[in-house]
Amino acid sequence: MRGLDWRAALARVMELWRSSLQVRTVAITVLLSGLAVAIIGTSMSISVGSNLFTARRVQLTATTENANLAAQRVFDQAAEQLSPEDPDVTIRAAAVAISNAAPGAWFTIPPAQGQAGITSGLDQSEALISSELREAVRDSDDPRTFSQPVALPQDDGSTHPGLVVGSTLDIRGERYELYLVYDNIDAQETLGFVQQTLVIGGLALVLLIAAVTFIVVRLVVGPVQLAAHTSEQLAAGDLTVRIPVKGDDVIATLARSFNGMATSLQNQITRLAALSQVQQRFVSDVSHELRTPLTTIRLAGDVLYDQRESFPPATARTAELLHTQVERFETLLADLLEMSRYDAGAVEMDAEPTNLVRLAEEAIDMVRALAESKGSQLRLVAPGGYFEAEVDSRRIRRILQNLLGNAIDHGEGRPIVVWIDSDADAVAIAVRDYGVGMTPEAMARVFDRFWRADPSRQRSTGGTGLGLAIALEDSALHGGWLEVWSAEGEGSCFRLTLPRVRGAVLTSSPLELPPDDGPPIEEVPHA
Amino acid sequence: MRGHVNARILVVDDDTALAEMIGIVLRGEGFEPTFCDDGSLALAAFRDSKPDLVLLDLMLPGMDGIEVCARIREESGVPIIMLTAKSDTADVVKGLESGADDYVVKPFNPKELVARVRTRLRPAPTVTSGPLQIGDLTLDVAGHEVRRGDTRINLTPLEFELLLALAAKPEQVFTREMLLEQVWGYHYKADTRLVNVHVQRLRAKVEHDPDNPSIIMTVRGVGYRAGSTP
Repeated sequence: MRGLDWRAALARVMELWRSSLQVRTVAITVLLSGLAVAIIGTSMSISVGSNLFTARRVQLTATTENANLAAQRVFDQAAEQLSPEDPDVTIRAAAVAISNAAPGAWFTIPPAQGQAGITSGLDQSEALISSELREAVRDSDDPRTFSQPVALPQDDGSTHPGLVVGSTLDIRGERYELYLVYDNIDAQETLGFVQQTLVIGGLALVLLIAAVTFIVVRLVVGPVQLAAHTSEQLAAGDLTVRIPVKGDDVIATLARSFNGMATSLQNQITRLAALSQVQQRFVSDVSHELRTPLTTIRLAGDVLYDQRESFPPATARTAELLHTQVERFETLLADLLEMSRYDAGAVEMDAEPTNLVRLAEEAIDMVRALAESKGSQLRLVAPGGYFEAEVDSRRIRRILQNLLGNAIDHGEGRPIVVWIDSDADAVAIAVRDYGVGMTPEAMARVFDRFWRADPSRQRSTGGTGLGLAIALEDSALHGGWLEVWSAEGEGSCFRLTLPRVRGAVLTSSPLELPPDDGPPIEEVPHA
Repeated sequence: MRGHVNARILVVDDDTALAEMIGIVLRGEGFEPTFCDDGSLALAAFRDSKPDLVLLDLMLPGMDGIEVCARIREESGVPIIMLTAKSDTADVVKGLESGADDYVVKPFNPKELVARVRTRLRPAPTVTSGPLQIGDLTLDVAGHEVRRGDTRINLTPLEFELLLALAAKPEQVFTREMLLEQVWGYHYKADTRLVNVHVQRLRAKVEHDPDNPSIIMTVRGVGYRAGSTP
C-alpha cells in the first residue's frame, strides 16, 4: 500500500513536471542555483576553516615558544643560583611562568630519566600525546616546536578540537619535553557560526531565486496560457474570443497578432459558411429545376421507347438512343449532385446495424447477370466472425456495386472474388479481380473525379467517372478506409474497411491487401 | 372504391409539361387524370374531382405540397403519392408525416410511377373473412373498419393495410423490409422511413399511449409485431 502511494505520488509529480512549464522552470532554477550555492558555500566554509585553524596554530606555536622561554628562564635561574633549592619550588615557579605565558593551556612535562614529570589540569596526557609526536620532539636537535591536532574528550562525552604543541626544555643539561595542550573550541565555534550563516544565507538565496523565477515565469507563462486557452476556445468554434492586449511588449504583440489571426479566421469561416450555404442552396435548386424537365423528357422518351416497334427503323433507333442517353444523363446528374452534396458538407448518415455479408450477397446478386455476360464468375469468401456493423446500408451497397462494376469492367472475364472478414473492431470487404490491373500512376489517380483508367475501354456498367470518388467519400463518412492494390497483368483489389461501431477510429484492417489467395483460383481460359 | 380501370387521379403539379406528360402516361394505362397547377386551388380541385388517388408535387406555388397534403388528409384517407425532386431532405419526412402514403423521386420512369399508383389503388388482400383481433381492437376486414369496443377508429386505407398485415400474423415479427414489400409493394430496398413514419401515425390513432405502445410493438433492431390480444 505504501509502495503504491509512493508510486502514485511519483506519477503525480511526473505528470506535474510534464504538464507545467512553470513547475519545470522553477524546479530547474532551484536545482541549479542550489547546486551553485552549495558549491560556493562549501568552498567558502573550507577556506574559512583552514584559515582560521592555520592562524590559530601560528598563534599557539608562538605562545608555546613564549611559555617555553619563560619556563626555561625559571629553570636557568634556578641552575645559576646553584643553591640546591627545593626542586618543587622551581617546578611550581616554572608552572606559574608557563601558565602566565600561555593562559588557558594545559601542560605536561612527561617524566624522563628517572625524574618525575609535572603536569597541570590534564589527566590522560599520555593518551593525548601520541608517540609519533613525542618521538619527533625527542629526536629534534633544534629548539623548535611540533604541533598535532587532537580531540579533547569532555566530561559530557563529546570532544573539543585541540592542539598539542611540543617543545624541549633544558634543565641542568637534561632534556625534558614540554607539551602544551590548547582547547580550540573557540575557533570551532566561530567556524560553526560561519557555516550556519552560510547555510541559512544559501537557503534564503535559493528560496529567493525560486520566488523570483516563479514570478518571472508566471509573467511570461500567464499570457501564453491565456493564448493557449483562447486558441482552444477558437478551435472549439467560438470565433468571437480575443486576447486582451496590454502595453506594447512582446506579449502584447503576440496578443495582437493572435487577435488578428482570429479575426481573419472568423471572416474566412463566415465567408466560407455563407459560400457553402449558397452552394447548398444552388445544389438544391439545380436539383429541383433540372429534375422536373428531366422527368418530362424521361417520361416522353420512355413512352416513345415503348412504342419503338411501330416506328420506321431510323426513328426506332432514335427512340432507343434517346432512352439510353437520358438514363445516362440521369445517372450522371445523380452522381454530380451526390458529389456536390459531399462538397457542401450536406451529407447525413443513416446508420443502423447491418449484416455486411448479406449486404455483399445482395450487391453480388445485382451484378451477377452482368458478370456472367462478361464471363466472370463471382465468388464470396466469408469466414465466420462479427459481420454486423453500424453502417448506412444504402451507401455501402453503392460502394460495393461500384467496386464490383469496376471489377467486371476490368476483370477480363476472369473470376472475381469478394472477401469479407472482421475482428472485434472492424469489418473489411475486399473485391479482387484478376484482370488487366493498373500501373502505379493509374493507381494514384484512380479515386480522382472523372478519371478513367483507359479511355478507349468499353464500359458496360455505364460508369460516370465519379463512382470511386463517391465511394471514397462514402467510406470516409463512415470513418472507414477505401484502399487499392493493383499490379499490371495481375489485377486489382479494392479493400473497404469499416469500423463496427459508428464513430470508432480504425487502427487496422482484418484483411490483407490484397487478401491471401489461398487455394489457387481455377484459371478460366480467356480468349 | 372503383377498380383501377378508369380510376380518377388528380395530378397537382405546377410544371404543365410534366403534368401533361404524366397525364399521357396515366391515360395510356387506362386511368383518368385531372390536373391542378396551383397549391391554393388544389383542395377545391380535390373536392371537385373526388379522385381515387392524388399525385402531389411538393414544391407548388400558392400553398406548398406538404400543407396541401395535410389539408386533404384532414378530410379524406384517399391515397396520396408525393412527387419530389429531393429524396434525402426533411421535406420527404414532413410530407409523410402530414399523411402522404408514398413518394416518387424525380426523375422517375413511367413504369415506376404506374407501379406506385397501382399498388395504392389495389384492394387490400383479403387474408381472412372473419374479424381479426389486435390488442383490444377488432378489425373488420371485409368492411375495412377498425373498432375499439363500439368506437370506430378512422384509418386511411394504407394505415388499415399496415394494421391488417400485423394483425393477420400475430406471431410474426415483421422487418421494415417485409412491410415495405407487403404494404407498399416494394420488391427491392426502399426507404424505411416510410414504415417508421406511418407506424408513428398509426400509433397516434390506435394506441392508448403512443409513447408506450401496446398494439404495434417495436422489436428492437428487427422491426414490429402485433401486441398480444387479451
